[in-house]
Amino acid sequence: MSKNKKIISGLALAAVAFIIMMFSTMPSAGSKEITISDLAENGSKFEGDYIMTQGLLNKDSVKWDADKLELRFEIYEENQGTLQIFHKGIKPDNFTEDVIVLVEGFIKEDGVFEAEKVQTKCPTKYEGEGMENYDTQMHKEIYKNDKQD
Amino acid sequence: MYLIGNIAIYLGIAISIYGLIANALGIKQKSGKWLESARGAVLSLAFVSSISSFLLLYILGTSQFQFKYVASYTNESLPLAYKLTAFWAGNAGSLLLWAFLLSIYTAMVVFSKEQKNPMMPYVSSILMLNVLFFFTVMALNANPFEMTDKIPADGKGLNPMLQNPGMILHPVTLYMGYVGLAVPFAFGIAALILKRMDSEWIKLTRRWTLLAWLFLTLGNIIGGWWAYLELGWGGYWAWDPVENASFLPWLTVSAFLHSVMIQERKNMLKTWNLSLIILSYILTLFGTFLVRSGILTSVHAFGDSNLGTYFLVFMAFMMLFSLYIVMTRYTLIKKDSSPIEAYFSKESSFLLNNLILVAAAFAVFWGTMYPLISETFTGTKVNVGAPYFDKVMAPILLGLIVLMGICPLIAWQKAVIEKFLKNMLWPLAMGVATAIILFAAGVKGIYAIVGLSATSFMFGTHVLEFARGIGARRKATKENVLKAAFKLTVKNQRRYGGYIVHIGIAVIAVGVISSHAYSSEVLKTLNTGESIKIGEYALQFNSLTEQMKNGNGVVVADVAVFYKGKDIGKIKPEKIFYETWPEPSTEVAIKTNWSQDLYVVLSSWENKDKVTLMVKVNPFVSWIWTGGIIMVIGTAFALAGGGPASSRYQINKGLKTVGR
Repeated sequence: MSKNKKIISGLALAAVAFIIMMFSTMPSAGSKEITISDLAENGSKFEGDYIMTQGLLNKDSVKWDADKLELRFEIYEENQGTLQIFHKGIKPDNFTEDVIVLVEGFIKEDGVFEAEKVQTKCPTKYEGEGMENYDTQMHKEIYKNDKQD
Repeated sequence: MYLIGNIAIYLGIAISIYGLIANALGIKQKSGKWLESARGAVLSLAFVSSISSFLLLYILGTSQFQFKYVASYTNESLPLAYKLTAFWAGNAGSLLLWAFLLSIYTAMVVFSKEQKNPMMPYVSSILMLNVLFFFTVMALNANPFEMTDKIPADGKGLNPMLQNPGMILHPVTLYMGYVGLAVPFAFGIAALILKRMDSEWIKLTRRWTLLAWLFLTLGNIIGGWWAYLELGWGGYWAWDPVENASFLPWLTVSAFLHSVMIQERKNMLKTWNLSLIILSYILTLFGTFLVRSGILTSVHAFGDSNLGTYFLVFMAFMMLFSLYIVMTRYTLIKKDSSPIEAYFSKESSFLLNNLILVAAAFAVFWGTMYPLISETFTGTKVNVGAPYFDKVMAPILLGLIVLMGICPLIAWQKAVIEKFLKNMLWPLAMGVATAIILFAAGVKGIYAIVGLSATSFMFGTHVLEFARGIGARRKATKENVLKAAFKLTVKNQRRYGGYIVHIGIAVIAVGVISSHAYSSEVLKTLNTGESIKIGEYALQFNSLTEQMKNGNGVVVADVAVFYKGKDIGKIKPEKIFYETWPEPSTEVAIKTNWSQDLYVVLSSWENKDKVTLMVKVNPFVSWIWTGGIIMVIGTAFALAGGGPASSRYQINKGLKTVGR
C-alpha cells in the first residue's frame, strides 16, 4: 500500500467516526414539524415530543401578563383548527394580526401548547411590502404555499 | 427611463449570447477576430450593466414611484443613504447587483495582463454564461424597472430592520464574495477543458479567491453584527438555514485556500482542489436557491418562490457540466499528481485541516437539509436547530483550533518530531496555564475551559512563530524589534498575513465560546424606581418618555445603570414607530466594555410607569467584531503580498507568479 492510500484510508476511518457522531446526536436535537390540524385532532399522540408548528396569529386572543411574564395566544389555520399557546416570556416584534407565528415546544394533556420559543415570520419582512395596505389574503396565500412544500 | 432600463436588460441578454457565440466561433476557427469581438462583448456588457445599475440608483435616489421597485422599498422621507441602498432590499435589485458585479469582474479578468492566455476565451464564456443567467431571470421574473399601474403618492418605505448600517454592508459584501468565486471556478474549468494540469489557474486566481473569501468573511461577520444590534434577541448567530447557506461556501473556500498551497508547492491534490472550487461555486448558487425558494422553514422568508426554481435549474446545469468535465479529464489529473512523502509533514496536516473543514461543511449542510431528508424517508419534517449544530460543530471547531495551533510548527515534506515537540513546549504551556488560571478563578463549564485553553494554545503558537521570525531576523540584521517585525511581515506577506488571520480567529473564538457559555439573561417587569440585578450590574427604571426623532415616534425607557454599586451612567433602550410600519421596532441599547456587553431591550410597557425589560450580559461579544477586523487586516495583508511561496520553494519555475 502506498503512503497515499494509507493516509486516505486513515482519513476515511475518521470520516466514518465523524458521521456516526453526527447521526447519534441527530434524534435528540431535533424538533418535529407538525401541522396545527394534526395537533388539534390528536394532540395526545405527540405528547412528549419536541414539536415545531406554525400558524396565523389571532390578535384578539393575545393575553399578556406583564407581572408574571406570561403570554397566551391562539394560532390557527383556516378550516383546519386552532391551537392555544402558552409561553413564559415576552412578545416578539411584529406580533400583529395574521402574522405567521413559529412556535417550538411541547403539547400538554389539556391541548395547550407550551412554547419554549416564539418567533414571528413575516413574508413581507425582507420583501418590504408596506404594512398600511398590508394584505392579509396574500399572507395566507404565502402561508399556504409554505405548507405545500 | 423605463425604456432605457428595459433595453439595457434585454441588451444584456443579447450581448452575453453574442459574446458566447463569438467565443465559440473564435475558439473553433482559431480566429483572433472573433475572440477580439467577444472581448468587445464583455466590455459592452460591463457598460450595459453599469447603465442599468446607475439608472436604478437614480430612480431610487429621486423617488420615482412610477417604478414598482422604488415604490415598494422606499418612501419620500427615507434618508438618502437608505434610498440608495434599497438597491439590494428586494429580489430584482439584488439580481441586478449580482449581474453588475459579475460583468465588472468579467471585464477585469478579460482585460487583465493575462488577456492573451489561451484559457481566457473559456473563462470569459463561463462568466458570461453566468451573466446571461442573471439578466434572463431579471427579464423573465424580477424586473427592477417594472412600472406600477397607477403612480402612488408615496412609496411603502424600507423595512425598519433594514435601516441599519449593517444592512447597507452585509448584502453587498456577501454578494461580492459569492460573485468573486465565479472567477476561480471559471479558471479551474477552463484549465480542465484545455487539459492544462499545472497549477497555473490557481496562481492566476489566488487573489480573486482570497478577495472573495475576504468578502464572505466580512459578509458573515457584518451579518452577525447586524443581527446582534437589530433583532433584539441578544445573539449573533442562530444556525438558521439562511445563515448556514452563507457559512457553507466560507468553509469550503477556507479549505481550498489551504489545499492550493499544497498543489502550488508539491503538485498534489489536484482533483481535490478542483472539486473544492466547483463545490464552493455551486454552494453560492445553492445558498441563493435556499434563501429565495422558501423550501425550508425559516424566519427569513422571502416572498417570491419562482426565483428558486431558476436557481435550481441553473445550479443543476452547472453541476452536471462541471462533473462531466472533471470525469472526462480524471485520468489525466491522476497521472500528473505526486504522492505524499511522509505522514508527519505539513502536507498531511493540511490534508487533515481540509478534511475537518469539509466535514464541518457537510455537517452544516446535513443539518440544514435534514428537514427535507427526514420528510422524504419518514414523512415528518424534523428540524434540527441550534442544539444539533452546537453539539456537532463544537468538537469540529475545537479540532480545527487545535490543528491551527499545531500546523504552523510542522515543517514541509518531512518534519522532525523532536524539533516539533520542542517548539510546541511554549504554546502548550500557555494552553495549560490558561486552563489552570480559569479553574483557579472559579470559572465553571469544562467544555468552555477546554475551548478557551485550546484557543490560547493556538494563539501561543502564532505568537511564537512571530517571535522566532523576528528573533532570527534581528540576529542577522541587528534591527530593533519593531523594525524587524515590520520587515519580516512585509517580506512574507502571505505567510504572516495568514497567521494574522489565525490570530483573528483566536480572538473570535474567545468571544464565541465565552458568550455562548457564560451569557446570562433576566426578564422582568418593573415599576418606576424598581431595579433589576444581573451579574455585577444593577439597573433602575426611571421613566418612560415619548419623543420624535427623524420624523418617527420613539418610546424611550430611561434606565440608570450601576456596576458594582457604582453609577456608570444611563442606558436607553427604545421602540421606534416608523411611519410606514404599524408595529414598533426594537432598538437595542448596549453598553460595552472590553470584557462584556450589557444588552437591554425594551420589550413592552403597560403604562408610563411600568415596563418589561429584557437584560442580558454577554461576555466578550465585542471580541468577535475585533477578531473580524483582525481577520480582514490579515487577509488584506496576504492579498497585497506577491507571488506564491518564497524562493525556497521554487517548484514550478518559469511560470508567472503574478495573480490578478
